[in-house]
Amino acid sequence: MDEKIKQSLIDIVDEGNYTDNLIDMVSYSYDASEHSHRPSCAVWPGTAEQISEILKLANRERIAVIPRGAGTGLSGSAIPAEGGIVLDLSHMNEIKEINFESRLAVVQPGVVYGELEKALAQNGFFFPPDPSSGKVATLGGNVATNAGGVKGAKYGTTKDYVLALQVVLPDGRITRVGSRAMKSVSGYDMTRLFVGSEGTLGVVTEITLKINPKPTATSTARATFDRLEDAGKAVTQIMSSGILPSVLEILGKHTILAINQNTDLGLPEVEAMLLVETDGYTKGETDFQIEKVIEVFHRNNVKEVRRAESESEVAELWQARKSAYAVLARIETHFVLEDVTVPMAKLADLLKGIEGIAGKYDVQIATFGHAGDGNLHPQLLYDGYDPEQVKRVEAASADLFQLAIDLEGTLTGEHGIGMSKAPYMKLEHDPVAMDVMGGIKKMFDPNNILNPGKMALG
Amino acid sequence: MEAKYDFARKYREQILQCSRCGFCQAHCPVYGSTLRPSLNARGKMLLLKEVMDGKLELSDELIETLFQCTTCASCFENCPSGVEVPEIIKQVRKDMVDIGSCHPAFKGMNEVLQKHDNIYAEDEPEDFERERNKQAENVYFIGCVGSYREDEATLATLDLLDRLEVDYTLIDEVCCSGVLEDVGYQINGDLVRKNLDNIYATGAQRVITGCPYCFRTFKNKPQYAELREKGIEIVHMSQFLTDFDLGVKTDKRVAYHDPCDLGRHCGIYEEPRDTIRKIADDFVELPHHHADALCCGAGGGVRGAFAKNSIAMARRRLEDAEEVGAEVVLTECNSCAHNLGNAKLRKQKFKIQNITEFVNELMEEAE
Repeated sequence: MDEKIKQSLIDIVDEGNYTDNLIDMVSYSYDASEHSHRPSCAVWPGTAEQISEILKLANRERIAVIPRGAGTGLSGSAIPAEGGIVLDLSHMNEIKEINFESRLAVVQPGVVYGELEKALAQNGFFFPPDPSSGKVATLGGNVATNAGGVKGAKYGTTKDYVLALQVVLPDGRITRVGSRAMKSVSGYDMTRLFVGSEGTLGVVTEITLKINPKPTATSTARATFDRLEDAGKAVTQIMSSGILPSVLEILGKHTILAINQNTDLGLPEVEAMLLVETDGYTKGETDFQIEKVIEVFHRNNVKEVRRAESESEVAELWQARKSAYAVLARIETHFVLEDVTVPMAKLADLLKGIEGIAGKYDVQIATFGHAGDGNLHPQLLYDGYDPEQVKRVEAASADLFQLAIDLEGTLTGEHGIGMSKAPYMKLEHDPVAMDVMGGIKKMFDPNNILNPGKMALG
Repeated sequence: MEAKYDFARKYREQILQCSRCGFCQAHCPVYGSTLRPSLNARGKMLLLKEVMDGKLELSDELIETLFQCTTCASCFENCPSGVEVPEIIKQVRKDMVDIGSCHPAFKGMNEVLQKHDNIYAEDEPEDFERERNKQAENVYFIGCVGSYREDEATLATLDLLDRLEVDYTLIDEVCCSGVLEDVGYQINGDLVRKNLDNIYATGAQRVITGCPYCFRTFKNKPQYAELREKGIEIVHMSQFLTDFDLGVKTDKRVAYHDPCDLGRHCGIYEEPRDTIRKIADDFVELPHHHADALCCGAGGGVRGAFAKNSIAMARRRLEDAEEVGAEVVLTECNSCAHNLGNAKLRKQKFKIQNITEFVNELMEEAE
């Protein structure tokens, strides 16, 4: 980093909040994706005003700035693709207000999801998106990637809960968008524009979130199927049955086999397994819902249904789903975890298509995911030190994205585009849409200093 | 290509298993008190991966992170990929020492144990008003922290053993030197020999350790295998205490801090709790407990080398105690008690003690 710029950054954030130490530069080169690139320096700002000064400086000097939360993203959104200044927002971690009467929480971007959840739980509330990285991911990162989780089908994703934001624009101006009111149709929906923009339009420095009362009762069941089509049909029929489960997860055969080979869970080795949870405020209510779901299972050649009767049985049923990531992470040296999403009626087609791709390229693909909202996680397992395998995985990924688009789906349901899916943006978005997105980026950030190299926006 | 360093030869597969998910950040005490991702387990594994890939050399620039790990194992306990970070860190510290890159405090510790028989370079051991090297059923092995820094706690423990009419003796003990393995060096064979010979001379069939780290060293290290082969039982004081009917009670609200060396490293969670439940009706768990317990910040050489952050880690742990309104925080490790005690703020009115010391006080009051 140029000495003069380094000194200007230190003048803004103080010496203790600036680093260009090798250990930090290596650490900030990565997130949870397969990408990496070193920044020139990193800063730990404490206020929106400091961030404003940093952006003014960077804009003047044409230096890239990469906002970062916990770095748990799976698509490379937080990688300094072209070097520059990493803006680590994790020190801005204050929960500023929780207002149960107005059903909202105001937080700084560095607050960890799990910390807000803990604070809300004391009063029986929750912030529903529930990403599986929630114990470490920050809310700023959730907003930037529009994170989702297992409760997406019933409760939606981050965008459904962001009421208002404070944002610092690339030229250093500080603005507030949205409203503390539950409803607002005042002007363009600027809030939604920033949610999921992966730090390419502005730096979020304060988030106002809608919070929900947390249902107090749940019922849980697991169903196994010998035919993938039956599991897929069961999912779509549940969707049209009038019941909306709070969780509806699927595990494919390869995931089940991998779990059995690496744990002593002894799962039934079937083509597909569905895990379903219904929620509400009385056991009668949740049981009624789950019985309706089980009726659907029976109409679709279910092999076996298990109802959890106690807390320990609930935990036991969940264990298979919860262990999937850890088991799959240990099989090969590398993996890519995708998040293609299709309309629920196309779920069985997606599952079958993934199997076809695995066979075509001779790549291990284990699939699990959120059947309830059509969002699957095919995990491609490979040895990243074998160039031939890397090539096959890249080809399989390309086919996978094409498959999702052919099934009227999307490249990404909850992880974001980042660097990983940037080359495929044009598969999903027509030239006009790409042109408009590029225009929006240019309007906010004409010098392309904010998180360059992401989302195919330049 | 032949790997350049031992850590890569031994742990290459493990390091490659790190999937960079970052979940360790939720548990790492060093990250928790600094919010600096390069000090977290993931940050360390990324550096080592770059070293293995030839993008980086081991050097002094890496000391700040590779030597700043308490080896508390909370990352390993929670790692979806099962990466044994503490073992990897211990090995890479040896590689660092081999190339002459070592934190001065760690180097100093090795030098002290070349010349002295305890980590504090003290020449006059406390005699604890007891005859040493007697013939007895049990040897009570105190450990360096208990001998030279927490002597009141040790005296209380010995008083308790007397009250319980245990047939024991102290020996002319020297540092077990297990800690050297953590800080980049090797266990000191001369010190091991002295301890073994002094234990044998008493005819004891059991060694009770006050220090969980000495317990781990005696129990697991090959240098002390002789003890085990001779059928001498090795127990930690918290295990030994469970057999006794203590006959005393407290009405205070008591919480328990799991020492990493006893809990995550040895799986001893319930024995100390069994004892506490016997003496305290109002026993509460800290928000982080059992395998999820927060480290006190003292281990792995961090207290000596990175004192400020070590105290910051202890402060975080004490916030847990405040949250549950504990009046007494009990533990079973002199090192934890020492660090937590040093970090305690004036407004924090609770006591921090070893279980043995607390039980002894209750018995004293009852007499």
